[in-house]
Amino acid sequence: MLRWVERFLLDLAAAAIVALGLLITASVLLRITLNSGIPDTVVMVAELMVAAIILPLAATIAARANIVVEVLSQHFPGRVQDCLVILGGVIGLLALLPLLWAGYREAASAIESGGFFFGQLNLPKWPGRVLFLFGLIVCWVRLLVQVVADMRTFARGERIDTETGTNYMQEEA
Amino acid sequence: MDGTLIGIVAFLAVIGLLAIRVPIAFALAGVAAVGAFCIFAFRTGDFMPDRAIRPTSSLVFSNFFDLIHSYDLSMIPLFVALGHIAYRAEITTAIYHAARVWLAKIPGGVAMASVVGCGGFSAISGSSIACASTMGRICAPEMLSMGYDKRLATASVAAGGTLGSLIPPSVLFIIYGIFTETSISSLFLAGVLPGLLSLAGFLLVIWIWVRQKPGDAPAFTGEITAAERRQAAFAAWPAAALFIVIVGGIYGGFFTATEAAAISVALVTLTGFLQRKLTLAGFWAALRETGIQTTSIFLIAAAAKIFVAFIALTGVAPAIVGAVTGAEPNVIVLMGAIALIYLALGMFLDPIGIMVLTLPLMVPLVESYGLDLIWFGVVVIKLLEIGLITPPVGLNVFVISSVVGKSVPIDRIFSGLLRFLSIDILVLIIIMAVPALSLLIPYSV
Amino acid sequence: QTTLFFGEAGPNRGSRADAINYFADQVEEISEGDLSFDIQWGGALFKAGAARQGIADGVADAGTIIAVYFPQEMAAYGIADLPIQNPDPWVGMKATDELMRSSDQIQQNLADQNLVYIGTFTTSAVHIGCKGATINSVDDIEGLKVRGVGAYGNAFADQGANLVSMSIYDAYQGLDSGLIDCSQGYSYVVPALQWQEVIDSYTLLNWGQVGALGVFMNKDMFDSLSADQQDALMEAGRRIPDELGRILSTDNDAAVQMMRDQGIEVIELPEEERQKLVEAGSTYVDSWKETVGGMGMDGDAMLTEYRSLIDKYTEERDAQGYPWER
Ligand code: NA
Ligand code: NA
Repeated sequence: MLRWVERFLLDLAAAAIVALGLLITASVLLRITLNSGIPDTVVMVAELMVAAIILPLAATIAARANIVVEVLSQHFPGRVQDCLVILGGVIGLLALLPLLWAGYREAASAIESGGFFFGQLNLPKWPGRVLFLFGLIVCWVRLLVQVVADMRTFARGERIDTETGTNYMQEEA
Repeated sequence: MDGTLIGIVAFLAVIGLLAIRVPIAFALAGVAAVGAFCIFAFRTGDFMPDRAIRPTSSLVFSNFFDLIHSYDLSMIPLFVALGHIAYRAEITTAIYHAARVWLAKIPGGVAMASVVGCGGFSAISGSSIACASTMGRICAPEMLSMGYDKRLATASVAAGGTLGSLIPPSVLFIIYGIFTETSISSLFLAGVLPGLLSLAGFLLVIWIWVRQKPGDAPAFTGEITAAERRQAAFAAWPAAALFIVIVGGIYGGFFTATEAAAISVALVTLTGFLQRKLTLAGFWAALRETGIQTTSIFLIAAAAKIFVAFIALTGVAPAIVGAVTGAEPNVIVLMGAIALIYLALGMFLDPIGIMVLTLPLMVPLVESYGLDLIWFGVVVIKLLEIGLITPPVGLNVFVISSVVGKSVPIDRIFSGLLRFLSIDILVLIIIMAVPALSLLIPYSV
Repeated sequence: QTTLFFGEAGPNRGSRADAINYFADQVEEISEGDLSFDIQWGGALFKAGAARQGIADGVADAGTIIAVYFPQEMAAYGIADLPIQNPDPWVGMKATDELMRSSDQIQQNLADQNLVYIGTFTTSAVHIGCKGATINSVDDIEGLKVRGVGAYGNAFADQGANLVSMSIYDAYQGLDSGLIDCSQGYSYVVPALQWQEVIDSYTLLNWGQVGALGVFMNKDMFDSLSADQQDALMEAGRRIPDELGRILSTDNDAAVQMMRDQGIEVIELPEEERQKLVEAGSTYVDSWKETVGGMGMDGDAMLTEYRSLIDKYTEERDAQGYPWER
């Protein structure tokens, strides 16, 4: 289930990248050929950027694509290294809390106040903020599941596998 | 509690957390959140944690959200996608085949070609990160598969990526120009020669490296006929055509540097499908890779942005600059001190953050010594570029790391960069000692 | 002795920076050193798009809010951005300042957002510089590729311009390469961004200004200050228009003179042509009225009051000259 959600969100992010690329390309082509354009491209691209960056967060966690420095820790005993992996996850869970709280407040206030972007279309502010909150919640849950799983592995006395995260690229291609 | 003290403790805490393998983004964001919380809680003198929750969460959120909610930065996922799609459309392989065939006799030729490619890409991209990610995706895996030493293969593109901001167009020069009210077009011109000098320096590093350790860059063995060369060059035409279209488009007034990213992706995708080398599945897989890679880069960049906001609250930057000013140094000592400050901040913070924190303090100081602000801009940008490849927080290194994955550990990339860093310091000293290098073009146009 | 954090999205140079520094100095002077500001430039704490929340949440105690980023939440203040006839920076600022101070309704709306109004800035009158094109009349706008922003940009689009999105800092290259024909701007911006190198005509629209940007404070922090400190802040805010008006007037006049000296064709849009633009802008005045109406405010009444304030300060200027000339 979780895996399906992660991949679906990653696909949505891929679609967002296609969409913002097409939007910019189309506005350039319209300008060159017809001296016309697409209103509020800047706002729409910025909103799509939120989707493109935030939705893959859970998949990034699952892929263990978080960048870490192992200069020192690689010399530690295996059990200590695994403790540090768990610690890193716990710090991540804590570091994301203020973001979740503020993200919730922002999304709620954008919906409540009816805030919008000034422009030719006066597009609403809530979609990007709601997407941000949504992507973050899924990411937090994914990280929690990973940390709990790592703790179990550790309790069983086994090593945590940080090398092979879920690979979303080689599944179908 | 003293803000400067909190700031210094925070820098140490980041080093400590990174050393025990805490993911970089979590370490930066976590320390920044705790530090900001302390500052807000101690605002009135007494410890009032309830008053700190709202400003802390607001600071963390807005700096994260505003970084990604950006039209201009759409250039980064697009250029990352460009690298992945071009790879799957076999366009990059064609370039590499051509480079391999043509540069077979030159030791380390492909690494040199990668650095020159970075220089060329800098002319269409205003961002070092975009430069490193695109060229990294194109060059690093090819070099690794050709049996290049891992450090050479990754470090050369991480260093080459730093050309992105010295060679115009350049986002960093624009921001510097805004802060100093100097001509952005003059700054762009001023960056050209120092950019080319840096490029030459990187080529020299590779040349010496490969002379000392020929095994790090296996030469192509076997005979190559003239026909093979022609064939290889011809097969690389999509890349050459793309480059001409993009450069012509930007400088001919058809699209902006930001729009160029989208146009490049569209052209590469179209070419790939038309040549029947790109499949729909390959295209989608490339986009998934782009999603994961962009997110891990932006996660660190956003965390660094949050850290900058926290450092602004601490007052560390004015404290350091105040200490330098108080000593009333001569010009040479002043410039040395400034270089050290930027190198130290560059270890942790991102270039834009450093400029925002320091320029309001530095510029009046530099002006009071009667120094040229255009030249000083080139010095600052070069220093910031060096910061992109210094440990512990080196954004270009993380970008390359997100391309090559776990096959090359971060510390290997950093250790490969040592030689590039030493030549960078030499180039920096030349830029500082010979202002004419920067000022020749802008003042003669 | 209290030090307050001030968050500003722009750089520490230029007319707005001068006005902020002036404001901070005035606060320090009036409070006799009791209050001072630690100004964070360049969006170090928050960017323009997050200024409202940043100040309301106490990330900074005070800062600059630019209303165009918050057309809903800062709707009332947005009156100073409307494309009505309002080209004089000093007059515009004085009218905006008085409206913001005197309206209980606006202050209540701000208080609900945990904000207090302190003082107002302006970017001064909107004009337009072009390369390879000359705007002598409203009809000339049709078919031009224009970098335009806010309601003024929309109004250009309504006249048949093709709006191109780019930042004001990219406009130089845009004009130079021919990507755009014209860029909306302000006179003092021309020398700052070297536009004189790339434009060959500059049309003074004498139309309106982007005036809805100013200093706001976190209400909790404001309320926790002593009455004397609060008065110092308010008085310093009240002094901004005279100082910024002086700076802008000097800089703008010098910029226009410089352009004339460089052989750039400087055109004053004729009265009847300007009237066409003002009429064209009425769509945006109407949609603004709708927005404030949705918040329970009477847009027509506010606009009537604002126009009468513009008239009042225009008369004062005509009778006595600008304060710095008296
Ligand atoms: Na560049
Ligand atoms: Na660094």
